[in-house]
Amino acid sequence: MFDRLRRNRAFRNLAPAATVVLALLAGLAVDGYGQFVLSLTVSAIVIGAALTMLVGYARCITLATGAMMALGAYGSTLLVIKLGVPYLLAVLCAGIIGGIGGFLLAVPGVRFRGHNLAMVTLVFQAVVVILLREWRDVTGGAEGLNVPPPTAFGMTLTDDYAVLVLNVVVCALVLISLAVLVNGAFGKNLRAVTGNEVGARAFGINVERHLIAAFVASSAIIAVAAALNAPRYRIIDPDSYGVIVSIFTLSYPIVGGMQSIWGGVLGGGILRILPELLRPVADFIELFFCILVIATIMFFPGGIVELLSRALRLNREGAAAAAGPEETRLAGPAETVSPSPAASSGSTVAPGGASAPAALITQRVRKRYGALQAVDDVSIEVAAGSLHGLMGPNGAGKTTLFNAISGFTPADSGRIECFGEDITAAPVEARIAIGVTRSFQHVAVFPKLTCLDNVIIGLGANGIWDTFARSFDESVNGRRSAKEREAARWALAAIGIDGKAEAPAGTLSLGDQRRLEMARAIVSRPRLIFLDEPVSGVGHQEAELLKELLQRINTDLGVTMLIVEHNIKFLVDVCDTLSVMSSGRIVAEGKPGDVIARPEVREVYFGEKKAAP
Amino acid sequence: MAEFLMVIIGGLKIGAIYALAAIGLIVIHKATKTVNFAHGGLVMLGAFAAYLIVVELNWPYWLAYVLIPILIGIVATLLEITILRPLRRADLFIVIVATIFLGIALSETFRLAQNTEMLAVPAAIKGPPMMLELGEDLIIITREQIWVCLGALTVGVIGLLIFRYAPAGRSMRAMAANVRGAQLCGYSVNRVYAIAWFVGGALAGLAGVFAAPSHGVSPELAISVITAAFVAAVIGGFDSLLGAIIGGLLLGLAETLSAAYVSSAMKSAVSFLLLFVVLLWRPEGLFPEAKGRDV
Repeated sequence: MFDRLRRNRAFRNLAPAATVVLALLAGLAVDGYGQFVLSLTVSAIVIGAALTMLVGYARCITLATGAMMALGAYGSTLLVIKLGVPYLLAVLCAGIIGGIGGFLLAVPGVRFRGHNLAMVTLVFQAVVVILLREWRDVTGGAEGLNVPPPTAFGMTLTDDYAVLVLNVVVCALVLISLAVLVNGAFGKNLRAVTGNEVGARAFGINVERHLIAAFVASSAIIAVAAALNAPRYRIIDPDSYGVIVSIFTLSYPIVGGMQSIWGGVLGGGILRILPELLRPVADFIELFFCILVIATIMFFPGGIVELLSRALRLNREGAAAAAGPEETRLAGPAETVSPSPAASSGSTVAPGGASAPAALITQRVRKRYGALQAVDDVSIEVAAGSLHGLMGPNGAGKTTLFNAISGFTPADSGRIECFGEDITAAPVEARIAIGVTRSFQHVAVFPKLTCLDNVIIGLGANGIWDTFARSFDESVNGRRSAKEREAARWALAAIGIDGKAEAPAGTLSLGDQRRLEMARAIVSRPRLIFLDEPVSGVGHQEAELLKELLQRINTDLGVTMLIVEHNIKFLVDVCDTLSVMSSGRIVAEGKPGDVIARPEVREVYFGEKKAAP
Repeated sequence: MAEFLMVIIGGLKIGAIYALAAIGLIVIHKATKTVNFAHGGLVMLGAFAAYLIVVELNWPYWLAYVLIPILIGIVATLLEITILRPLRRADLFIVIVATIFLGIALSETFRLAQNTEMLAVPAAIKGPPMMLELGEDLIIITREQIWVCLGALTVGVIGLLIFRYAPAGRSMRAMAANVRGAQLCGYSVNRVYAIAWFVGGALAGLAGVFAAPSHGVSPELAISVITAAFVAAVIGGFDSLLGAIIGGLLLGLAETLSAAYVSSAMKSAVSFLLLFVVLLWRPEGLFPEAKGRDV
């Protein structure tokens, strides 16, 4: 099993690069022009793969691909002709220039999504073309630049096949590194960000940095690919890198498919070769592209990759298997929590003693929305090791307080402390590092990732450099990724859904998705978990099971919990301490049984007036 | 001084066209949550239709103003019914991509149908320019400028009034506020979306007719108009029709002023600079619509 995984992972990272190497074989069979086309195709494959990461994984629409290509082509050419830099080094530098371009675009750009981001990229594209046109002394203006033939190790490459070999080698290396990123932790984190941004933040994924990194990496790769091509065109001018180029390259990942790097590889390859085959009707090629893209979006959104894999699956397993993949909905008998969850871990943390600092202290926290004082001077203390409930009617300010504590909407004033550490101003992403995790009222799992990968993200090692390191470690089957998988399996087993480790989270039933959230919340062995309405929308029987689960996590792992909930019975059953909020203030606090008997609480909930004196 | 005033009037004329295109973009966005990147293509189709009617068929000019909004409105409605309706459940991301390629498809179709680079359309109103004396100087205003300025702005204001007060406008605003709620109140999504696309397309068509004499008809018109309309919309807060009118005029002024006093390269860059500045410093636009609190 493990061996198969190892082989499988190496295969996943190397196979796209192998397709590029196939171009070498094809190059033997065609003439010089064919080899020229193959060189361009290899670059298109790389550009397509880079765009798959940006468009498919990070879901950023970019209309700046042409600009990035221009940066690479002009950058490398200028380095060669003005500074006499060796060609191969110049190609490498083109990657750096492209990366810087991607950074400059992304830093302001990733504050937006959707159409606004698309427009920001269009701005970048337009500005680069204007610069190329106007900065005549350097770029040659509209006439463009003459590009000298490529050189390698002191030799000038004039033979088409030699150039093809060079392109293939560079592109294969680029594709391997890209595959390592996309198939590894980085790609999974991007999927998490686009699957559920709030959930991703809560587990330490800095969304902006991830998207910026996606822009930088894809721009660098696109620039390298364009730098490789520049000598093939002999003359480069601003028109070769206009917005139309951006739009047509955008079709690579769309037509190819956005689920994996293969989409860009196939899309880029096929769409670059196609115009050569359709030469007789060359006039119609752009219109044909548009129709192809729209037809893909409408009729087979998975693109070529999905069509191919469906065809392959049909061949291999017969028609029956294609209809129902194994990971169909697993609803129904999901209510089977394994009886002894954390026992296997063997590391039960004792609940904090009396001397330990409180798990959570809020002091005079206030938050105002316009005229509404949503949270008004709230001070609560959650003792370490306790199960602390927070209830209150709609509009009492529970969610606002909860968001202030978990960092999603900072408080206006007041102080929030976890285990003696001031976290009032700490960003959401920093919570997990001090041992604080959370669940969500509306389940916030990452639907496209497997349960195992969901839980691995819960470990919280999601800083951008950490993520790159983990991607690399995963590609070489390092010890770290093995440990991560082990920890994740433990957490899944503790919650009782280890049977579904490889199923995509989106295919689970709601109850199982809530369990998955619990597994993700405990895998980092936190000291404190915030639970946001854990039983909302859950049946009575399911709530009972969840109650047991929470109590078990509390006692076995020594985790403190703060539970915000509407369901009074559930809170009274599960909690040691209960706070009641109303109109932004805490109106009662204490043992659950006592609290709900208090007149002020009964007044809040049932409108019972205190007996007249 | 006189030169400055003439530049201002030229800017207002271009701005009025941008405003008209931006209003159509926003009507569609408000009612259907779709940012129509094909809008520039619709404007270009409108301009092309003006060429066909006025030059090829030699029909009277006023027919262009009557027929083209209906024609382009129908084209837009067909696009919504055949392509965007099946995508209603797809995420917005993919819908945006679809409209980008739709826009390119429209201008490619034009390019294939008409092999010339640029088609010229005569001005709607001919006659000697008007001269105003201002001290020593002479201000020259063409009748075309006045016609386009006032005409496009009037249409824009009519569009705004329809959206605010007419029953069809109410249905679109209801959809914009809450799709489910609007459905429960008896508004059909399909109908309202079709109406919104018709109105948006009609406005785009008119913008094309107004733009044709000064801009000519070419595939580039599609791209230049969609960026300008988008920038105007963003300046205005993207959801405000009045903001779009003001945004369009501001953009038109900024473009002609920088072309006259800086350089022609600055003219193409200024719209992007404006977009960038507004998005970074005031992403809600200069004239945002009041929004309720998200609960």
